[in-house]
Amino acid sequence: MRELRIAAVADIHLGEDLRGHYRKKLEGIERRADVLLVGGDLTRHGTVEEGRVVADELRDLQIPVVAVLGNHDYHSDHDRDIISILRDAGIIVLDDEAAVLPVDGVRLGVAGGKGFGGGFAGKCASEFGEPETKAFVRHTREIAERWRWALKDLEADHKIVLSHYSPVKDTLMGEPPEIYPFLGSYLLAEAADSEGADLFVHGHAHAGTEKGVTPGGIRVRNVALPVIKHAYTVYCLDGDYC
Amino acid sequence: METPHYVAARVQRALAEDDRTNELGIRVDVRGEQVYLRGQVSCEERRHQIEDVAREAAPGLRVHNEITLVEVREPGEEEHL
Repeated sequence: MRELRIAAVADIHLGEDLRGHYRKKLEGIERRADVLLVGGDLTRHGTVEEGRVVADELRDLQIPVVAVLGNHDYHSDHDRDIISILRDAGIIVLDDEAAVLPVDGVRLGVAGGKGFGGGFAGKCASEFGEPETKAFVRHTREIAERWRWALKDLEADHKIVLSHYSPVKDTLMGEPPEIYPFLGSYLLAEAADSEGADLFVHGHAHAGTEKGVTPGGIRVRNVALPVIKHAYTVYCLDGDYC
Repeated sequence: METPHYVAARVQRALAEDDRTNELGIRVDVRGEQVYLRGQVSCEERRHQIEDVAREAAPGLRVHNEITLVEVREPGEEEHL
């Protein structure tokens, strides 16, 4: 089986002031990678106008582009519009679902969505007390359940989870520990560990670190642009060379 | 003089909630009458907008803009998993 080259980035935070800049960095990506994953916070304010900039920057690449939204993309309540604009531009947008991409006979399955927070085992919120607290935790739990089903039904040779929020603390190192509950949740890792995956890609933690691992042994990579400091990073799955 | 702790919190909140910025990752430290802004953004315009919003949220204080620009380099070496 041929190796797969996964390009990944998150937190590109595009807007009219950056139009054209990111696109330039994607030149030649088809020679370096088989697919580009974009882990949310595509925009800064979540406006339709910014959504159009993102679509223009990512459209018509010679490799498939798979994206999820991030919290910034929800800020102006136009998340559904942004998803439509991106899909019209040929970008695969995962909203708690999965997609299978054939790459030279190898089936790459990608599952995921925005994700959400709540914290990490032993130091996390639970569905108890005020309705607002319950709603916060329930949102993450329901997302994790949908991901679990999406992964379970996914028939692919390799599986990747694409998220905005983090599944582990490892990749948050550098962020203030007090805000960890707003940066991710162990429920996301638990969903991936229960069904299995080759890689878990996320963003959101600009001051975090790139590399981590879930309790079940799935490699985690924080590809937030300020963390990787490159237009994207390429991860190779199952091969001796790239 | 207002407690620096609350000034820093107000500036941080303004940077997150003001539509000109919506920046969550900027560190704000207040020491006496000095405000220090640290973090990374993508372009010069955003760097200036953050300073403007911080000045409005902390009138009378001196704002030091120590925010740097994210340098987006060409893709580097691949990692084999």
